[in-house]
Amino acid sequence: MSADFTPNPKKWLLIGAAGLIVSLIGFFVDTQIAAWSYLIGLIFVTSIAIGMLFLVMMHHIFDAEWSVIVRRQAEHFISALPYLGVLFVPLWVLTYMGGDQGILWLWMDHTASLHGHGTVGTDILYLKKAWWLSETFFWFRAIFCFAVWSYFAWAFRRNSITQDEDGSPKHTYSSRKHAAAGLILVALTWTAASFDWIMSLEYHWFSTMFGVWIFSSAIRAALSVMLLTCAYLVAKGPLKGIFNTKHLHDVATLAFAFTVFWAYITFSQYFLIWNANIPEETFWFNDREQGLWWPISMVLIFGYFLFPFLYLLQFPLKVNYKSTTFIGSWLLIMNLVDVFYNILPSLKDSHGEPFQLFSEPTNVIWYISGIVGAGGILLWAYWSSFAKTKIIPIRDPRIQDCLNHNHH
Amino acid sequence: MAKQHGLIAKFDTPAGIMHAAEKVRDAGFKKWDVIAPFPLHGLDTAMGIKRSPVGRFTIVGGTIGLVSGMLMIWFTSASDLSLPYMEGYQLIVGGKPLFSPQYAFPVAYEMTILFSAFASIGGMFILNKLPMHYHPVLKYKDVAASSDDTFFLYIENEDPQFDEDKTRAFLGELEPLEVGELEE
Repeated sequence: MSADFTPNPKKWLLIGAAGLIVSLIGFFVDTQIAAWSYLIGLIFVTSIAIGMLFLVMMHHIFDAEWSVIVRRQAEHFISALPYLGVLFVPLWVLTYMGGDQGILWLWMDHTASLHGHGTVGTDILYLKKAWWLSETFFWFRAIFCFAVWSYFAWAFRRNSITQDEDGSPKHTYSSRKHAAAGLILVALTWTAASFDWIMSLEYHWFSTMFGVWIFSSAIRAALSVMLLTCAYLVAKGPLKGIFNTKHLHDVATLAFAFTVFWAYITFSQYFLIWNANIPEETFWFNDREQGLWWPISMVLIFGYFLFPFLYLLQFPLKVNYKSTTFIGSWLLIMNLVDVFYNILPSLKDSHGEPFQLFSEPTNVIWYISGIVGAGGILLWAYWSSFAKTKIIPIRDPRIQDCLNHNHH
Repeated sequence: MAKQHGLIAKFDTPAGIMHAAEKVRDAGFKKWDVIAPFPLHGLDTAMGIKRSPVGRFTIVGGTIGLVSGMLMIWFTSASDLSLPYMEGYQLIVGGKPLFSPQYAFPVAYEMTILFSAFASIGGMFILNKLPMHYHPVLKYKDVAASSDDTFFLYIENEDPQFDEDKTRAFLGELEPLEVGELEE
């Protein structure tokens, strides 16, 4: 590590705490919007950490050599997962102590009246799903998901960091076994989490593509953060002369691959629903064509697929730190737009119309505080872990191959 | 004796051919090549070869595929155009509009991939001047060893810098096993 670079985790803890305090104020002032914004921020940031966890597992399962130094950065990010689990607790508090049990997930309030017909408790579409959408089971699943993620994050970090000390290859074998089990378990829990936290916001709707969609979304978020992290660390010194443009090219190429993957999944979801034309499914897209959501859906097609696709097709733009920093920031912002697009229109006003992004100017405060709160915690965890560990896994069996990895 | 095509030098180690290629590159020769029995990592850089322009063919092919896929679906289901041997026929399926990009997309997408693949293969053939059934190198006496354990480097007469005596001396300085002549 270069002498003039000292990470400052405390700064990020303060920033995160500031965001959380503003959200807390929001819970009293503008309860529902602040709660939804908090949920959006938490899901956005969790998806970055989950994407990083997937990157670590993909590295181990393929016994990859190019990504050893990249993996260490991902290992810093996944250390945030237990803390993000703690940040989930306010959602429980809001549900049971905010006075309105259906404030986030409408189905939790069986007496809530539905626009046009009856209540949740008498709704056949709820009753058929009631075994899964039961409150006890829901909160149990949330705890289980965070427990699984935290365990794998802990296991991969322990193996990698212990190996820095003793250099034993047994840690690599242990990680590989963990990756084989983890890919299945994390895929299942992350799918369940997406069904619970996002899809059940609108419990009438169902999509079998949703789990794959949120997987692609998480990976894209993680890869764009990775592009930014690596460029930052090279510019500031710690990775200068270690991380080269071939590593950069590989990360950017993965970002390109998952751009196409995301488009494939998102289109398939739309296409199946469009083609089958069943009202319980199509209303979800109809809501997302109301007001500002229509231009936002166009922004996603052209800004989150077409533009990055054409941009990342080009080799010179993948081996230049400035151009990857630009596309990394762009993809991250678009990812956030996508998360908003998937969550916020599920909130309905008293006429059953989807919530509009800028219905009140103050909404923006809660949006920002939700993201800054969880985001600050993520970066605090990142820099705390960064300060405590070696900049690269110096005794990984593949480290030499990784350092020699270059354009040929 | 037949017309001379160029001069050829023989090497027996990957390191030898790699250093030789770097020197030929730095000397500014244009029409030359290396023959090796297996891929050598870093040889492209040593020879000063730029990235392949095959991707340009691919994107043109892909774009043509996308557009023709869309047009095909539009023609068969939404138009009533009359073309030789073909007639457009307006057909309502599943209560959907006669044409919408949604359902034309899977076909257009597959066409994009198909045409990209064709254009890539075609572009590769064009850029490599394939098919090429004969090359003067094939006539060289022990060229068969280049598929086993021997490396060759040759410079063509047509290279602007080529000069029979100077180039022969230059190749000699690269420390090859031997320098020989290639016949047309």
